[in-house]
Amino acid sequence: MRLSPLDRKLLRDLKRLRTQAVAVAGVLACGVALFVMATGMYDSLERARDAYYDSARMADLAVSVVRAPDPVAEELALLPGVNALEARVSGIGLLDLAGKSDPVSARLVSLPPDRRPRVNDVLLREGRWPNPARDNEVLINEAFAEANALAPGMQLRALIYGRYRVLEITGIASSPEFISAVAPGALLPEPERFGVIWMGREALGRAFDVDGAFNDVVLRLAPGANARDTIAAIDARLARYGGRGAYGRDRMLSAQFLADELASLRTMAAILPPIFMLVAVFLLNVSLSRLVATERSNIGLLKSFGYSNAAVAFHYGKFALAFGLLGAAVGVVTGRLIGNYMAILYAKVYRIPALQFDAELHIYVWAVVVALVAAVLGAAQAVRRATQLPPAAALAPPAPTSFGRLGATVERAARNLDGKTRMVVRRIARFPRRAATTVTGIALGLALLITSQHFPLSMNHIVDVTFGVAQRMDATLTFAETADDQILTEVARLPGVFSVEPMRAAEVIFTAGSRQRRDTLMGLPENAYLFRVLDQKMMPVAMRGDGVTLSYNLAQKLGVTVGDTVHMQATEGQRASADLLVIAVVKPYLAGAAYMELNALGRTLREPGRVNAAYVLFDSARREALDRRIKELPMISGVSFLDSASASMRKLLSQGSGFFSYMFIVFSCLMAGGVAFSAARVTFAEQERDLATLRVLGFGRREVSYVLLAEIGALLIIALPLGAVLGAALSRWLMTQFQTDLFTFPFITDSAAYGKSALFVVLAVVGAALAVRRGVDRLDMVGVLKSRD
Amino acid sequence: MTAAPPPVFRLENLRKTYGEGEAAVHALRGVNLTVEEGELLVLLGPSGSGKSTLLNILGGLDRPTAGHTYFRDLDLATAPDAEVTRYRRLNVGFVFQFYNLIASLTAAENVELVTEIAENPMPAREALALVGLAARTHHFPAQLSGGEQQRVAIARAIAKRPTVLLCDEPTGALDVATGVHVLKAIVTANERLRTTTLVITHNADIARIGDRVVRFADGTIRSVEKNPQRISPDELRW
Ligand SMILES: Nc1ncnc2c1ncn2[C@@H]1O[C@H](COP(=O)(O)OP(=O)(O)OP(=O)(O)O)[C@@H](O)[C@H]1O
Ligand SMILES: [Mg+2]
Repeated sequence: MRLSPLDRKLLRDLKRLRTQAVAVAGVLACGVALFVMATGMYDSLERARDAYYDSARMADLAVSVVRAPDPVAEELALLPGVNALEARVSGIGLLDLAGKSDPVSARLVSLPPDRRPRVNDVLLREGRWPNPARDNEVLINEAFAEANALAPGMQLRALIYGRYRVLEITGIASSPEFISAVAPGALLPEPERFGVIWMGREALGRAFDVDGAFNDVVLRLAPGANARDTIAAIDARLARYGGRGAYGRDRMLSAQFLADELASLRTMAAILPPIFMLVAVFLLNVSLSRLVATERSNIGLLKSFGYSNAAVAFHYGKFALAFGLLGAAVGVVTGRLIGNYMAILYAKVYRIPALQFDAELHIYVWAVVVALVAAVLGAAQAVRRATQLPPAAALAPPAPTSFGRLGATVERAARNLDGKTRMVVRRIARFPRRAATTVTGIALGLALLITSQHFPLSMNHIVDVTFGVAQRMDATLTFAETADDQILTEVARLPGVFSVEPMRAAEVIFTAGSRQRRDTLMGLPENAYLFRVLDQKMMPVAMRGDGVTLSYNLAQKLGVTVGDTVHMQATEGQRASADLLVIAVVKPYLAGAAYMELNALGRTLREPGRVNAAYVLFDSARREALDRRIKELPMISGVSFLDSASASMRKLLSQGSGFFSYMFIVFSCLMAGGVAFSAARVTFAEQERDLATLRVLGFGRREVSYVLLAEIGALLIIALPLGAVLGAALSRWLMTQFQTDLFTFPFITDSAAYGKSALFVVLAVVGAALAVRRGVDRLDMVGVLKSRD
Repeated sequence: MTAAPPPVFRLENLRKTYGEGEAAVHALRGVNLTVEEGELLVLLGPSGSGKSTLLNILGGLDRPTAGHTYFRDLDLATAPDAEVTRYRRLNVGFVFQFYNLIASLTAAENVELVTEIAENPMPAREALALVGLAARTHHFPAQLSGGEQQRVAIARAIAKRPTVLLCDEPTGALDVATGVHVLKAIVTANERLRTTTLVITHNADIARIGDRVVRFADGTIRSVEKNPQRISPDELRW
């Protein structure tokens, strides 16, 4: 095949401009890769989760009950809307792990003796199923086994319902019900200190003293069933057995947690990559239009030979497409590779089987089409400007670019400048648009860098505030059941404990108009000291008894504001109900619910003087003694230490959406670097002729480099503050978009992050400029002088 | 009898080859030439005969493949880069066919660009007056005609009072009358400043303004003739 001369010119131009091509296409590739990776990753995760929920028959509804006789389960299964149902025994036990002084707790869940669970199936990962005839054989969940190095064949000492038992681990399992196992009262999974244990129904029933009965039901809805009707029917049927009210996946801790993770992934995938794409596309557009502009005289020449405007446009269209295609192709491939890698990581973090990266076709199509359109548009502007010239313009000696004097004040100031500096000043002033695009490019690079750091910064801030400013206890002791407040005296007598603060938590159903929401109503002392609810200004919110304080999230879901009334229905104990005045709406960073003053809550629930947990401060030198004592106390079902909770929160943030956000940082670094390089490179290309002339006139390399570096430096100085302001605005907007059920992300100004980002951009630009400066050494003085322009 | 001053340039068996092997182009095939102080030398020759190559080597823009180029005692063929840059800065003035002015600087500023770094320059105004452009000092290149632009380039080249003035087809892009103007500027510089001047041209008539005419062909010097009498550019007809 013989290439036409024009096509050969195209190939040669591409080769000549290869460093520019790499920078421009590289920036585009970053945008495309991030877009493909983020969007695809979210889709893949959601699909994998749904597939897992489906294949392992994840429950749609769950309800716990004090004690219902077995035959009731059969009646429940026949209720309309119920597709499959599993009645189980479930409860919390304390474990004593060898080599671990801190107490560990676990949720114990019964397994049917003769079959797999109909709902919330259990998948055996390792080992074998427990023998139904042996009442001490158990399965444990994967994350817990890994975190504590437990394997089949090992033994566990468990304190269940006040009695010690030795359990034999026969296998490691996982279940959609516990993708992340979150301890009751805790906010995050802590596999080191909370696990799931499956054991035979009969043995567990005896252990919890519910022989011939069940205390926990999980069920799947029939397709098209109305969840609310089914809930009502179940609640009615279970009322006399102490049913605590059925609830959906939105209140199942693991599902809620995963949904929250997915929600923040989705926000990230939906908002950031398009911004990256936009920036990439902008740069591609600008770079191409500047590149094509340098071809101006060639375009005129081609036209003078008789090429039509269309033929010329087509030629440069292909030129642009080559850049666009290169960037898009590299981006798609890189996006896929990173996606595959992340899928492997996420499969480990979330323990979702069959998690594979698989972006849908339309994602690729979008990415490629947007890239190509941007490329062609960028070239088109420059081509149109060039083809409007009469061809004679190329044949006549080129008119030098017309420069004018700057404003009188600038000129007066410029009078004292040397010629080289004056060149720089006039070039910038003469081409404000060209200077503006370079400035905008660098500023956007900096803004992305700042913005991408904001998410982890905000997260860290949340952790710092939550564990340290809001929560100041050393440990939280959760009681096995709602207890009389006498228990606080016992807690105060525990070894090392010197400060105790009570907490009451009731699971209630709030109703406002037609909206309903099941949530936790927390009772805290008026001036709680160890557990404080903070508003966005970091001020502690005083607990009041004359009404209820709602978190912003909950208030929104109920559609109420201060002054409205909400109806509260307790799901357990006396099942009191009351109308409560909303006296305040607060916006805590972490998982807010509803709050009241402790004693007022007791009165409202018609159960005064009762508590669910105690926050304590203790002498850390006596931690071991405290640990030992707690393990002997059946009334305490779980302990959470602040230090380890904060550590596991940080760990969690680093691997889930946290890892995702680190990808953004990496990409924005790449993009900022690419932007810097192409800015330096294009500036050099535009100055090349002047620089060569200066060299011919006897200026040394240093002096000539100064002209190049001064222009880039001047633009950089303008770009930095602009980028910082842009970054701040973008971060602020982004944080308003990132609001999940669990987190409210604060906008914070971290000067270190701004400084680091700016420093990175400066280094990138200086590095790029120095790399380009090497071109000054290789300037072809003879060649430049032979040609016209 | 006083001792003759040393020559400005002494070229010994100068060779320049572009490329290698079969594709090699021998632009210069052994050039020997001596240029005396204050001379005005005209280089004539068909296209591709190596004139520009020679001038570029003399100006320190390029290096020969073999042989020596002495500027007084400095061998431009082997001197270190910094030394050659210094040579250009202090001793050489260039004028090119395509002017090569900096578009973002005015006429005066283009000249000042050079006087700034020279050791004993003349004021920019004076240099521009010398080429007859005293009235246009504050115009940008885009506001000047081709001939005016070329004269600015000459002013820029002579403002530093260079030892040598190298002109590669300075009138190539100009009409007759304008060309005469430009040549007069060059001759003026040669006469008033005693600048050793080399001018490349395709025009045999122009050759008559020089002291000697060097004819090039195929990378070698075909002949060197002494003009019995230099004529003024005003008398040229072409
Ligand atoms: N960079 C280069 N690479 C290869 N060959 C070159 C290069 N520069 C010049 N030449 C060759 O060297 C020879 C001499 O070129 P030069 O430019 O010196 O000619 P010239 O006498 O100035 O011609 P003209 O009057 O057309 O300007 C030519 O054959 C040319 O093709
Ligand atoms: Mg030539």
